Amino acid sequence: MNTNQLILRNLHKNIKNYYLYVFALIFSTALYFAFVTLQYDPAMDETTGSIKGAAAVRVASVLLIAIVAIFLIYANNLFIKRRSKEIGLFQLIGMTKNRIFLILSMENFLVYFGSLLIGTLFGFAVSKLIMMILFKIMGIDQVASLSFSIAAFLQTVGVFTAVYLIIMLVNYLYISRQTILSLFHIKSKTEAREKRISIFEVVIGLFGIGLIALGYYVSSRLFSGDFTSIQELFTVMLFILVSVIIGTYLFYKGSVRFLANLIRKNKGGYLNINQVLSLSSIMFRMKSNALLLTIITTVSALAIGLLSLSYISYYSAGKTAESNTPADFSFVNEEDLSVFTSALKEEGIPFNKETIKVLVAKVKIDDIVNGSAASLPVEDGVLPMPIVSDASIPKLNVGENQILFTGYSDAMKQIVQFSSSGTIVLHTATQSFKQQYMGLAKEDVLSGYFTKGRPTVVVDKALFEKIAQDLNKELQFNADYAGINVQDEDIKIANDIFQSLEGIQRSGNSSQFALLNRQKENMGLIMFIVGFLGLTFLITSGCILYFKQMDEGDEERPNYTILRKLGYTRGDLLKGIQGKQVFNFGIPLIIGLFHSYFAVQSGWFLFGTELWAPMFIVMGLYAGLYSIFGVLSVLYYKKVIRHSL
Amino acid sequence: MTVLEANKIHKSYGNKFTRQEVLKGIDVSIDKGEFLTIMGASGSGKTTLLNVLSSIDRVSHGTIHIEGKELTGRKEKQLAEFRKHHLGFIFQEYNLLDTLTVKENILLPLSITNASKKEANAKFTSVASELGIEDVQHKYPNEISGGQKQRTSAARAFIHEPSIIFADEPTGALDSKSASDLLDKMSELNQKRKATIVMVTHDPVAASYSSRVIFIKDGQIYTRLYKGDQTRSSFLKDIMKTQGVLGGVQYEH
Repeated sequence: MNTNQLILRNLHKNIKNYYLYVFALIFSTALYFAFVTLQYDPAMDETTGSIKGAAAVRVASVLLIAIVAIFLIYANNLFIKRRSKEIGLFQLIGMTKNRIFLILSMENFLVYFGSLLIGTLFGFAVSKLIMMILFKIMGIDQVASLSFSIAAFLQTVGVFTAVYLIIMLVNYLYISRQTILSLFHIKSKTEAREKRISIFEVVIGLFGIGLIALGYYVSSRLFSGDFTSIQELFTVMLFILVSVIIGTYLFYKGSVRFLANLIRKNKGGYLNINQVLSLSSIMFRMKSNALLLTIITTVSALAIGLLSLSYISYYSAGKTAESNTPADFSFVNEEDLSVFTSALKEEGIPFNKETIKVLVAKVKIDDIVNGSAASLPVEDGVLPMPIVSDASIPKLNVGENQILFTGYSDAMKQIVQFSSSGTIVLHTATQSFKQQYMGLAKEDVLSGYFTKGRPTVVVDKALFEKIAQDLNKELQFNADYAGINVQDEDIKIANDIFQSLEGIQRSGNSSQFALLNRQKENMGLIMFIVGFLGLTFLITSGCILYFKQMDEGDEERPNYTILRKLGYTRGDLLKGIQGKQVFNFGIPLIIGLFHSYFAVQSGWFLFGTELWAPMFIVMGLYAGLYSIFGVLSVLYYKKVIRHSL
Repeated sequence: MTVLEANKIHKSYGNKFTRQEVLKGIDVSIDKGEFLTIMGASGSGKTTLLNVLSSIDRVSHGTIHIEGKELTGRKEKQLAEFRKHHLGFIFQEYNLLDTLTVKENILLPLSITNASKKEANAKFTSVASELGIEDVQHKYPNEISGGQKQRTSAARAFIHEPSIIFADEPTGALDSKSASDLLDKMSELNQKRKATIVMVTHDPVAASYSSRVIFIKDGQIYTRLYKGDQTRSSFLKDIMKTQGVLGGVQYEH
């Protein structure tokens, strides 16, 4: 038998060992190729339009390949370990290590590039689907075409060849470090088997929990005004990241084992089957698993956090557009307004118009601000604010000595907290008025041109007149706000008219519909990229856990043999295994969810206006998809248990 | 009183074309409190016999009764239930769970039967002191010696007072001192607790501790030896003589 035959035979025989590796490869290639195809597609140029979009796609593809490379190297490590016996045998019959390496490389080459080809074809097939999804998300009416991009193909092959070379290097180092004896015994030696729980470990565990809690606490203070400069913010963010990740690692390393040990001590050596299979096995492996679990947790937290944030911005796109342009169309210029309304009349589109007179005055607000107002552009607690009369807003009525804020964004609420009552002083050019503050209303009254993110001040008609008499000239807008509302079914045509009329799309005039679309386009691309990456994170981390469980299952197979000989049924064992899987998959998920929850909590308002619904949708979806891998690993264990006797 | 009764058991492996008959119609009956050894050369089928007797493997033909209950043809789940209550095992490779302490390993058979904790502890103390492993009860298998491991394995087999204990080459991986220690303990437990033991070995010294030896050759019973009133050393001579006639692995002294 020559070497070539040996390679083919090996391939044939090991296909069972390889199938997951092959799956992982096909999957990652398909994903990568589809993504790169997107990058090279001419249709994308139009959709991404800006340099920013192209850069985002490029950065994402680099990130993607980084994840995929780590994932493939990990999978490869597991599989080369499984074949240690074979490598030992080859050495025993006198093959040189270089020869063995060559055989393995050839074998790997066939599997690797075979899968690469299949993956590319598969990626090509789904790229149209992916593009359709992208267009749908971005709200673009365009037909996705299916075209094979040579450039994308070359890039995929190039990048994956580089990964292949890295894997080969890892394999080479692995083989050259091994002796015949150690290769035969690899399976029983992979774990560090130190057992005693020391006080030190308990301290480490508690310290870990402390670090996580500290990270959470600091993250909740992140945008509360304690940290003002960008430099400070950046340092603090880095601090949170480091403290939470290290805390998680220490938590896994110390606390989990400690807690499990506490339960175990309590049992006095009398464990039931569930505890035998879950508790003791988890404790046994915790030391080496701590790092893996930390990585999985961090990756999950990152994915959930990013997905939540981007979904929040996508989800809130409508709300943002509305707060910027409360009416369907807003104008700050009489001429433009009349051009537009006459065009509407020509088309026979019914509309209604409202105009609101807007004044600006300085308002001393520091009496009603809770905590520090340092993050606001305020001098001596005085902020110039747009003022309207309650007469121009039918829904609101304000008393003579009262004052009301309205159109207050949730995002601002995170930066500065207003108390529900207090006194406010309004300063005009020469006078000042002491008013009673009545609170905040949600209603958006003016367009973003006037508010610039500030609440709008509503005052009584009489007071409004007085202010108008004594204006601080340099603060005023030289226009009134005008809003045009049309019927829902006419909005598209109206928007087309708005876009087609020359010169009226200048600053201050805006169309809610166009704004919404632009938001969706911007957010859509980001969401798509983040979603793509998130999915990759999810699947790779799920696969890694699954591979790890496969490995553990094979390693624990003799244990199942013993237990079954002792009289435990397959059902008994499976119940214990389920417990173990709930832990193995559940703990990183739950901790990841917590991490991402706090991450999202600390800065979500920078991304959008809605928090709970989009966050829970993302978390639910992620947890659901992630659980699939838990179920898969239980099924694998089921097979191992069945064959164990 | 007969504990185990096997009639004309056959066992073959492989499919129609590669059929290989390992057991060719063996009859065994074991009385309560007996210490029986099955001997034979490598490949004679002694381990297969132990496996089918202990319900881990199924017979191709024939019947096996333990305490009057038929084993053959039962479902997997019922067999597991049966092993739980009636059988104990000691193996050559110790077969301890690395993830559990000595005490936890020993208590395993009791936890399946849902015995109370107090009862379990009482049983543990008595069997552990008899086997001399009380000192290491909180250690893990990788922290104790081979002899201690095997005694742990024996303790696990004895703790739930099964009808029969099956031992497959229990001294196979032990040095001679640990081996004789273990065998002393086993025959002590056999006498004190009236425990029935079936042991497979190819070591005549180990076999000489038992009360009866069955020799197997090519899947059939070749001959039987009874210890009767002989001393252990004269029984050992008998066994070695028979083994010499039997061929296969020679044992030199």
